[in-house]
Amino acid sequence: MTKTPDNISKKKFMEEFRRYQKGSVTRRHFLNVTGLGAASAVLGSAVPGLRPSPAFAAGEIGDRVILATWPNYHDPANFDAFTEATGAHVQVNVFGSNEEMLAKLQAGGSGWDVYVPTNYTITTYVSEDLIEPLDTARLPNYDPSAFDPRYAEAGSVDGTLYAVPKNWGTTGYAVNTSHTDGKAMTSWKDFFDMTMDSFSGRTMVHDYQLTTIGNALKYFGYSFNSVAENELADAEKLLIDAKPHLFAISSDYQPSMRNGDAWMTMCWTGDGKQLNTDMPEIAYVLGVEGGELWSDYYAIPKGAPHMDAAYALINFLLDPEVNAKEVLAHGYPSADAHTNKLLPEDLLNDPILYPAADLLNALEFGAAVTLTDPNRAELMARFKSA
Amino acid sequence: MTRRTRTWLLLMPAGTWFLVMLLLPLTVVLVFSFGERAPAGGVVPAFTFEQYANLPARWTAFKNTLTLAPVGTLAALLIAYPLAYFLAVKVDPKWKTILLVLVIVPFWTSILIRSYAWIFLLGGRGLPALLDWIGIEGVRLINTPFAVLVGIIYGYLPLMVFPIFVSLDRLDKRLLEAASDLGATRWNTFRQITLPLSIPGIATGCMLVFILLMGEFLIPALLGGGKVFFVGNALVDLFLQSRNWAYGSAVAVTLVIVMLITVTIYMRLINRLGASREDVSIM
Amino acid sequence: MRMYATCVYLFLYIPIGVIALFSFNAGRHASQLQGFSTKWYGKALGNPFVMDALQTSLLVAFTSALLASLFGTMAALALQGVRGPVRTVFDMLIYVAVMIPGIVIGIATLIGLVTLFDQLNPMLAALWPEGAQAPRLSMGLGSLIAAHTMFLMALVIIIVRARLAGMDRALTEASSDLYATPFGTFRQVTLPMIFPAVLAGFLLSFTFSFDDFIIAFFVAGSETTLPIYVFSSIRRGVTPEINAIGTMVLGVSLILLVAAQVLLRRGERKPK
Repeated sequence: MTKTPDNISKKKFMEEFRRYQKGSVTRRHFLNVTGLGAASAVLGSAVPGLRPSPAFAAGEIGDRVILATWPNYHDPANFDAFTEATGAHVQVNVFGSNEEMLAKLQAGGSGWDVYVPTNYTITTYVSEDLIEPLDTARLPNYDPSAFDPRYAEAGSVDGTLYAVPKNWGTTGYAVNTSHTDGKAMTSWKDFFDMTMDSFSGRTMVHDYQLTTIGNALKYFGYSFNSVAENELADAEKLLIDAKPHLFAISSDYQPSMRNGDAWMTMCWTGDGKQLNTDMPEIAYVLGVEGGELWSDYYAIPKGAPHMDAAYALINFLLDPEVNAKEVLAHGYPSADAHTNKLLPEDLLNDPILYPAADLLNALEFGAAVTLTDPNRAELMARFKSA
Repeated sequence: MTRRTRTWLLLMPAGTWFLVMLLLPLTVVLVFSFGERAPAGGVVPAFTFEQYANLPARWTAFKNTLTLAPVGTLAALLIAYPLAYFLAVKVDPKWKTILLVLVIVPFWTSILIRSYAWIFLLGGRGLPALLDWIGIEGVRLINTPFAVLVGIIYGYLPLMVFPIFVSLDRLDKRLLEAASDLGATRWNTFRQITLPLSIPGIATGCMLVFILLMGEFLIPALLGGGKVFFVGNALVDLFLQSRNWAYGSAVAVTLVIVMLITVTIYMRLINRLGASREDVSIM
Repeated sequence: MRMYATCVYLFLYIPIGVIALFSFNAGRHASQLQGFSTKWYGKALGNPFVMDALQTSLLVAFTSALLASLFGTMAALALQGVRGPVRTVFDMLIYVAVMIPGIVIGIATLIGLVTLFDQLNPMLAALWPEGAQAPRLSMGLGSLIAAHTMFLMALVIIIVRARLAGMDRALTEASSDLYATPFGTFRQVTLPMIFPAVLAGFLLSFTFSFDDFIIAFFVAGSETTLPIYVFSSIRRGVTPEINAIGTMVLGVSLILLVAAQVLLRRGERKPK
């Protein structure tokens, strides 16, 4: 709001309007210069439910936008609505680990417009110059004061905003209780012990070093983020012992859990919620030893080919109405107070989304060092090729 | 235009292409394989054998590849040969082309989509459910080496059928008639005429399939559940997950060397089997 | 024998049947049938990314198959008369190009070209006139076509050479004995004889390029070919849209093949 001119003479307004009509300025330029955009933004935030839907006319932002994100993380209907509102189609590319996203960006020419990095990776993206600073003027739906800082602070590095919060969540495991013979599963110790026992051939772990190694570290009570060599060696031994008993190493576990091939998997909050909703016998467990607490962000990679569309998409997805639909579809909690106001009470009290304090307090955010630590990367690769 | 100039002009485009798109990249890989991993990924120039010293960490990947590639090739050959024979010798010429084309057609759908169909067929609701129904319980197929083998055979069968068909098709049918007129048994005819004459086709087919299998990555990734790991998967992992270009280059160089050795040995064997030099030197 | 062939054809076509079957699924999931619908075909056809990817794939496959057949045939013809070190070098190159796994070609091309471009781009920028935007080399359509052409060229050389080897030398010799120019001999004797091989090389190249995922995965930059699109969709959890795409590609190629067959038949029936 501060960036728009306060007042503008009638004459200037008419001049700009004519230029706009003649098509020599874009609609956005017109709205910005005249302050109409700001006015509608102010109006919108003052009147609940009147927040501006994307301030773009159909076709203005191009006909496409490419989003790199995680599996089962969106409501496809929202993309359809975005296409309807802006004329831009959304192509969704799915990744199973932050390492994979980083590698793709480092190799150059990813072609992405928006991607979804996790909290601990953003400093690396900044130091590698792979991420675009965000212009909040182009994200009228972004209201920093509405976000729980715990899940929003990693988006800024040295005072510059690079990423805005998407969702937060935990990494636990989902287990099909119809196969546990009544045994209560509560810890990562249970997870790995069960895998090497009656769940042999039925367990999945992520194809993702942070969680797979991290949770193996938790088995021994070490820090989820450890890079200490002796602790990593213990984790490696556990993982390699468990490997013959695994069903698969993959971050896309829902299909196998749903069709009954897999009985237990490392699992993120929302996937746990999705599975539990459709198949109540699948429970979501947070290890008592701890594990990962994370927050995902929307960000724009350096040199994104459709910059306008990227901003439009992020802004659209930040709209509380849209975001609420997303949460209802994917079951990941949002840190946005506006969004939470629109969510049903029972979802806000759901034990999967909002774990009990003692479980939550045991969790750790991922640490930036894990992303670049060569030993963790090589350990994961050794485990997979073992 | 002299004959010499003509030859050079004709060779020019291909030569340049090989230089820029083959020799240059391979040289870069070779140079990188002596480098070191940069902290955030990528490569730091150096001259060290560290990457090569670290190779045993991928032993299982090499072992899997060197087992499943020959086994897959052999299995594809055993399945393809009778079909190629049937198409070349037995089938009514009217149907020959269409039946041959039908072997190639699956090749026109992405291998990805075809492998995906196998994820379903071998998964819990596919074949195992069927086996369960007829009383064979607890069979697990998906994410096993067997699943990868099925995917391999399925993916590369057409590549095996085609060259064998071509070599059998060129075979003069009168030879077979003459043999049977002279009282040779069918087995003897096959062993003494058909088989030797089809060796170039077999050699080509096996070579094609074997080469593709040595670098295979998709089929194990899709049907092996990330557990049946080929060198190809290790390479993808090194470049697209752990971003260790130096080590990845060393693994790539090693793979190429292993292939050079195995393929050269293979060719020697084939040559000894008596195929004419010209036919096999197509590779 | 016939039984056996039937079994193999079943093996080849059951998965394709499954793909086609699920393309008519009314539900979102590709593992459970929930009624009949053709909506996924509409979705696929209305999806600009699918259409773009298809276009890219066709363009890449056609261009690289064309370049490969042209340069490959040229090289094969030239190599016929070449002995000595040049022959040895080319034989080695062809051998290496065909033998190196696609994944190594993909990775090597990626890091090779990225390294090359890092050297060339500053030079280009320095050479370019002041004020004008210097072109920046990057991975994309060009690198993809170049990589495919390299590999396919080797394939074409092999195929055409095999045909040349099987060709009766006496014919070309007779032709030149009868005072035909080299080009005349080529046009009237060699070309008709190797043409089937060139055509086969082209078709094989087209198919290889169209179906290639591994090389494209590494060298396509931000371009999306159909296999790349399919790969990322599979990871997203397949919807029957992918099945619809697969079925359509298959359907179109079948129609083309049948059409070609009919045309050939008709050509044969003409009195000579």
